[in-house]
Amino acid sequence: MVHKLEREMLASEFCGMRFDTPLVLLSGCVGFGEEYTRVSGFSNRDAGAVCLKGTTLEPRLGNPPHRVCETPQGMINAIGLQNPGARYVVDEILPTLDFDETRFIANISGSTVEEYAEVARIFDDSPIDAMEINISCPNVKEGGVAFGNDPEMSARVVEAVRAQTEKPLITKLSPNQTDIQENARRCIEAGSDAFAVINTLMGMAIDVESRTPIIGNNQGGLSGPAIKPVALLKTHQVYQVCREHGIPIIGQGGVTTAEDALEFLIAGASAVGVGTALFYDPLVCEKINAGIAAYLERHALNEMAQLVGSLVPND
Amino acid sequence: MSQAHRDTLYVEDARILAREAFDGDQVILRLHAPQMAARARPGQFAHIQCDSCLPLRRPISIMRVDAKAGWADFLFKVVGEGTRRLAERRVDERLSLIAPIGQPFTYQLQHRRPLLIGGGVGMPPMIFLAEEMHAVTGAYEPLVILGSEVPFPFQSRPSQLLVPGLPEGVIAAMPLLDDWRVASRLASLQGYPGTYEGYVTDLARAWLDGLDAAARKEVAVFACGPHPMLEAVAALAEEYHLPCQVSLEEFMACGVGGCAGCVVPVETPRGPAMQRVCVDGPVFDARSVFPPA
Repeated sequence: MVHKLEREMLASEFCGMRFDTPLVLLSGCVGFGEEYTRVSGFSNRDAGAVCLKGTTLEPRLGNPPHRVCETPQGMINAIGLQNPGARYVVDEILPTLDFDETRFIANISGSTVEEYAEVARIFDDSPIDAMEINISCPNVKEGGVAFGNDPEMSARVVEAVRAQTEKPLITKLSPNQTDIQENARRCIEAGSDAFAVINTLMGMAIDVESRTPIIGNNQGGLSGPAIKPVALLKTHQVYQVCREHGIPIIGQGGVTTAEDALEFLIAGASAVGVGTALFYDPLVCEKINAGIAAYLERHALNEMAQLVGSLVPND
Repeated sequence: MSQAHRDTLYVEDARILAREAFDGDQVILRLHAPQMAARARPGQFAHIQCDSCLPLRRPISIMRVDAKAGWADFLFKVVGEGTRRLAERRVDERLSLIAPIGQPFTYQLQHRRPLLIGGGVGMPPMIFLAEEMHAVTGAYEPLVILGSEVPFPFQSRPSQLLVPGLPEGVIAAMPLLDDWRVASRLASLQGYPGTYEGYVTDLARAWLDGLDAAARKEVAVFACGPHPMLEAVAALAEEYHLPCQVSLEEFMACGVGGCAGCVVPVETPRGPAMQRVCVDGPVFDARSVFPPA
């Protein structure tokens, strides 16, 4: 649990929401918000926000096994947006969550612009604190990254969702695109309040004996420490666009330690996503929080905001 | 609001108390993990960090626990990078584990003649289940059939316990089980002495055929092992109209229900579903995994 002094140092405001800590538990890693509470010592209170599993209008069974495999310093996943549908999430799951613990963010997905809008409409009429627009899922045949890699389509999705809700909108950007800055600009124009940077990188692993891809979906999304340098650069690039608009970023990709989290804050993120690291250590959040607080103290900084985007580039 | 699942899993830095290696790249580790040892049930597993440089843990099923002494035994076979590194760990080193995870086997007194079938690294949960059924409850008469195509991770010996109906000469047993007065027999295609030369399901069939109708009604089947073996066991149970539970494995990431990475397709009363091996399983009703034609 976050100690009192740490809590004061680590708290911040993100799109009008109070985040008790800068950590955001990432969509797809923590189910619908209750799964990790099985672990003694784990608390959602150690995270500023928890992003729920990607949700579509209709229930989805997701992809066939294998859905995950380990790769050097990382893992590939292709879950395929398995979820019980937006109506079920709002009616049956959200009432079981304790909204005093943290901010809960819905992750909305779809195969068409209209589906994104409809899912957003359903979540708009719910206690959910914010919505993350998932235009970067690499593991579905339609929608997802097919939208996220095209700035024009990304903007159309954001615009359609914006029309449905006043809740904070966070657009989750794909690293699998040519110009992430142009995409960010278009999404800001379309009404995005914040960004999550980045989603997984598309990847593959092959069993050489059978000569088949290990992942049932053939390809999947790479996460974990292996992608951290990519994520840091993308975060910094998007920060260049966001700074003048006062738009905050959740920086994410391979964060495992407090030092990783600090790198993202310095690169321009206002909050830091933790995903794959939970698989390694379900109690990692309190360690990262403590490490960030210790750093702030050591550098005589009163609040994290002083750190955000404080990168000193080489000449 | 139901939060009954909360705080049911423990993260422990478990010291390796003992390590024993066997032919066929098999290793048994005894770990000091008192919180999980006090709560573990047969069928459950631990999610073990094999090495600090690997990003994912590995699910390893629990073979025995001693709640009082606070230890748990794990048998595993080297099959990849994670288990290879786990096999290199030595006594007094510490391993991080999350445990006890998953739905355990369930059983009822109306089936007082449980048939437990374990193949390869599917043996451990069967040993745990046999110990609990027999030693703890005392009301059951399990028969344990173990199969392996590499040397068994124990020195087998002729059983002191008579099991009617089995082919002549099939007398090799697991000493630990024999000491508990739990009947066990071994099967392999490798021609090990006293071992049934054939599949575990063929030996199981011989035993079932030797039971009268009343006794057969008291049988329930429990199995863990390679997928083809489980499929054959499920078909056998179906043929003899016996209830059957199987324990599955799948590549796993979080181990606590968060990522849906370890799912298997199952049939449910509400239609097809993808269920997580970690927290919905690893024990499933055989009919949901292998729906009868």
